[in-house]
Amino acid sequence: MEEDILTTLKILIIGESGVGKSSLLLRFTDDTFDPEQAATIGVDFKVKTISVDGNKAKLAIWDTAGQERFRTLTPSYYRGAQGVILVYDVTRRETFTKLDNWLNELETYCTRNDLVKMLVGNKIDKENHELDRAEGLKFARKHSMLFIEASAKTRDGVQCAFEELVEKIIQTPGLWQNENHGRGVQLTDEDAGGGTCGGYCSLV
Amino acid sequence: MATDSDSESEVFEITDFTTASEWERFVSRVEEVLNDWKLIGNSAGNFSPEKGAYTSGTWGEKSQDIHFADFKFCITHYFLIQECEKDDEKDKFEEDTFPLAIQDLMCMNNDFPPRAHCLVRWYGIREFVVITPGSNCEAIISESKCNLLLSSISISLANSGCQIPMLVQVQQKWRRMYAGECQGQGVRTDFEMVHLRKVPSQYYHVSGLLDIFKSKIGCPLSSLPQVNIAIRFTYILQDWQQHSWPQQPPDFDTLLGGEVGGVEFGKLPFGACEEPVSELHLATTWPHLTEGIVVDNDVYSDLDPLQAPHWSVKVRTAENPQCLLGDLLTEFFKLCCRKESIEEILGKGLTEDEGKEINDIGSALSKLTEPATTVPISKMSVANMVHSARKHIRRHRRIDESPLNTDVLNSVLLYLFPDAAVERTPENSKNKTAQANSCGKMEQDKNSDYNLFLQLKSAPIDSLTYRLALCVCLVNYYHGGLRAVAHLWQEFVLELRYRWENNYLICGLAGGPPDLRCCLLHQKLQMINCCIERKKARDEARKVLEGSEKKVSRMSSGYLKSLSVPESATVMSTGSISTKEVSPGKSWDSWSDSEDEFFECLSDQGESEAPPADEEKDGSKSKAEGRLHPYNNMTLLNSSEPLYVPITQEPAPMTEDLLEEQSEVLAKLGTSAEGSHLRARMQSACLLSDMESFKAANPGCVLEDFVRWYSPRDYVEEEVVHKKDNTVLKGKLSARMMIPGNMWVEAWQTARVTPARRQRRLFDDTKEAEKVLHYLTMQKPADLTCHLLPCIIHSTILKLKEEESVEDIPSIKKNIQQAICQASKLLHPTIQDYKKLEDFINQLIAMETVITQARSLKAKFSISESEKRDDTDELKKFVTSLLEDPEVEVIGAGQGSTGRIIYRLFINAQKAALLTPKDEDFVHDRKTTGANNRVPDFPSPAGREILLRARVPRPAPYSKPLPQRLFCVLMREEFRLAGAFSSDTSFF
Repeated sequence: MEEDILTTLKILIIGESGVGKSSLLLRFTDDTFDPEQAATIGVDFKVKTISVDGNKAKLAIWDTAGQERFRTLTPSYYRGAQGVILVYDVTRRETFTKLDNWLNELETYCTRNDLVKMLVGNKIDKENHELDRAEGLKFARKHSMLFIEASAKTRDGVQCAFEELVEKIIQTPGLWQNENHGRGVQLTDEDAGGGTCGGYCSLV
Repeated sequence: MATDSDSESEVFEITDFTTASEWERFVSRVEEVLNDWKLIGNSAGNFSPEKGAYTSGTWGEKSQDIHFADFKFCITHYFLIQECEKDDEKDKFEEDTFPLAIQDLMCMNNDFPPRAHCLVRWYGIREFVVITPGSNCEAIISESKCNLLLSSISISLANSGCQIPMLVQVQQKWRRMYAGECQGQGVRTDFEMVHLRKVPSQYYHVSGLLDIFKSKIGCPLSSLPQVNIAIRFTYILQDWQQHSWPQQPPDFDTLLGGEVGGVEFGKLPFGACEEPVSELHLATTWPHLTEGIVVDNDVYSDLDPLQAPHWSVKVRTAENPQCLLGDLLTEFFKLCCRKESIEEILGKGLTEDEGKEINDIGSALSKLTEPATTVPISKMSVANMVHSARKHIRRHRRIDESPLNTDVLNSVLLYLFPDAAVERTPENSKNKTAQANSCGKMEQDKNSDYNLFLQLKSAPIDSLTYRLALCVCLVNYYHGGLRAVAHLWQEFVLELRYRWENNYLICGLAGGPPDLRCCLLHQKLQMINCCIERKKARDEARKVLEGSEKKVSRMSSGYLKSLSVPESATVMSTGSISTKEVSPGKSWDSWSDSEDEFFECLSDQGESEAPPADEEKDGSKSKAEGRLHPYNNMTLLNSSEPLYVPITQEPAPMTEDLLEEQSEVLAKLGTSAEGSHLRARMQSACLLSDMESFKAANPGCVLEDFVRWYSPRDYVEEEVVHKKDNTVLKGKLSARMMIPGNMWVEAWQTARVTPARRQRRLFDDTKEAEKVLHYLTMQKPADLTCHLLPCIIHSTILKLKEEESVEDIPSIKKNIQQAICQASKLLHPTIQDYKKLEDFINQLIAMETVITQARSLKAKFSISESEKRDDTDELKKFVTSLLEDPEVEVIGAGQGSTGRIIYRLFINAQKAALLTPKDEDFVHDRKTTGANNRVPDFPSPAGREILLRARVPRPAPYSKPLPQRLFCVLMREEFRLAGAFSSDTSFF
């Protein structure tokens, strides 16, 4: 079982408090939904193995608390993540406007700049939307992210979001391989041209 | 042959190879290879290679092993890779054009290519196949074997119709003797060669060589068509005279002595210690001469190099010249492989003498401060670490027998800790540190390379870590190697301990929590500073609060002891657990080291009066403590008191290794509900502490008040219509906050009314500082080197950049950029790949060498920035090309401005050489010196190449006129004639 796992990926879920980060995660990992999901303290952690295009990947997903005060604590866990899911609540505009702060935070604390970002607009099952799809799309395009709308309650888009993210990570060269098989830089182009004949290259 | 048997399988004809001899098999094997490589068929074309194409183009090479009986040969195809020739052109060529190789014999566009296979140079051909004896096989020396080989290839060529010349290497390999032939379109060209150690005197000049050429052709015509002659003489300059390498190796002894002081420690040395350019080769060429035009015989010669129409120059660089920066890097990198610990290097005496002395105190201390069972630091090491301020006295005693000279050590320490020079009153050190830090920042912002440390994961320029790296590197190189490094490191750690114990901040580090983007060592140093800062704040607060406070703190410590709920809750924020120690049931007392230490905020002091000695129940009117500021004009739900934001404990700073450890611990708890719960518990210390502070600042508050500040979205306000039609905002906790038994409620119930300053510390600075100091003490020099490697590579790149900007060498500029990219990949992973790093360092060293070469050449060609002449630009371009191109043409030859400088270089060298006649070898040259008693401007040429060409019908007068070529090389210890003579195979 363990052997055919291609790689282990670290994924983060961040966003304002109460947007449904833990619910999304729970829907994805356990396919359950609890309307009274307790507020996360610090960071929580779940593991799930999924298969994308025949590649098995083990996901270590770090769920974070959204409260302002915890933000002194949680960014420490951003290190080494290959993918991040930014969640906002489509029924609360302020959770969307705060996304810029979260991006800044990522920029500051992430150790790699090529990590894959996905924007998820959650709670689309609710009726009183304050944000439409177009706004989410626009934001995602501006910041080169993947975008999807989802509902942890109705399952819509949840599985798809994680799969897309993983697929993208696997497609990004150098992001998940442990070894970087980078070629050395050719600093001298000596010996490149001209055949050699016992090291003889010129008259003297 | 295989295909034959396929198509005629029905005929039942048997093809029998059984009688084939080894020789026949070899021939057919060669044919097969030619077939495989698609070298058969008409190679003719009309185009001749462009001028210089042999040098600028790229050459391809393909090879394969073949056997003659059990003798191994290697067959290799060399070819100039050409752009696809146009198809229409190919259609046009006439039937009877010669094979390309035969045409190439006469082509004048690529005579004397500066860098090419010797066969290209001798025969001017762009494509050929060579058969050489295998690498471990003996040479083909006997004449019969040679002939056997030659006839084999002759048959192969004829059978396959291959029109590419094929040659075999005969005689000893070093002689580079080849023979072979080319066939096609009714022409056969034989490639032949003569090789002697000494030049026969009658062939020392053009006229003698012309005689050989003519007699070899054996021209059947009464008058020989004109012979075309190209000549190149090569002169070597080795003695640079007054232009000798300008850089003196630095005087290592005085470099850091006395007056120069520690200033030099900030700089990496740079430059070559020896002449990096060893020779200059001047080639004077007469590309188009004919027989009658030039006279060169044993009594007279027209060939004056100064008059040659074409000059070109190449330089030979010294192989791996000793360069300062390169040596420094290499030596530093070697430290990575040393396995010795500091103690092994310095001996017990140096490390333990003080350890013994205070061993008793140490163990006593550890009894007091460490719950020994759970803390991983051994007692002995604690004893070693605990250090008294007396070390400065001790240092003087030890220094005499220590590896690092006292003066050097002092200047290094002064450079690392400049604030130590100022007398250390607490005020003073504070100001100084602040200054140093802000100063560093300003510089960083200005610097365009500011971000480089992020890419390399090193440390900011001028930070303590960066400077330490430079010092370790220099101390290793100049002041005693490994032992000195060990000594310096020991002293460095002692200084850190001194600062920790005496509350002096370490200067040269940015404030705040460890910067995770920097190297681990930098983070560790920042961590110590965090600890010092906390400790200082605490000590100062304590001073102010002395007296009355004492009593209370003792009492509250009693409360804390009785507190049972948080259990392991503080674990995460103290960051002190190792994986196996996670046991949720364990009393949290075991994690603490000092019951009496509390988080005391300095800003508390203003309002601190003796707090009530008795515990009061929540909600009762009690004195508020630890308020920061009112929060958004809100009032408490149950009273009209404003809601205050409390002063809170700051979260624990972390270094990346601690974080890693903690993530692992958290992850190990698994994904079960219990695991999640436990995880939340472990992380709730901060929440609990904030709740306690909140309660202290807002007497009479409820959880709803707290939530309104802490997690506003979990307080839901609804408009409720009252009976009397006036709507009232009614608030309540969100559903998730009301889940019975959820951690928030639980924590709230547990939380005491305690201001932050009297709470247990979330961050145990004493323990963290000791841990870091212990970690640092345990580092071997090799570990230290690995820690500092990113910083050294960082500063090396900056140094190269700086030096390059002076010389302006585009190729180096490009290489530096590539090196940065590569370094950021190499330095980031946790496990460093030693081999790749070594290669990388060698690349950096190569760049230094090129820069020193450029510098040396500029000096020789008198380019200086100060005096700009009108030809400076031309000279600069010339020097740049010398470094990049294999051979550079001198514009205007001997008459141009560059030519005149070269001429002068030779004259000076000649004068010097003849004033001190020590080289007897010169005598054998026929010199005109004796005759007119004048110093010749040029030495005798190191090599003469004479190329003779003619189009002559062979073997009969009625044969086609065919290309004939003889290339002659005359050197001091070599005489070579490489001839290609064609004959008509249809009309003879």
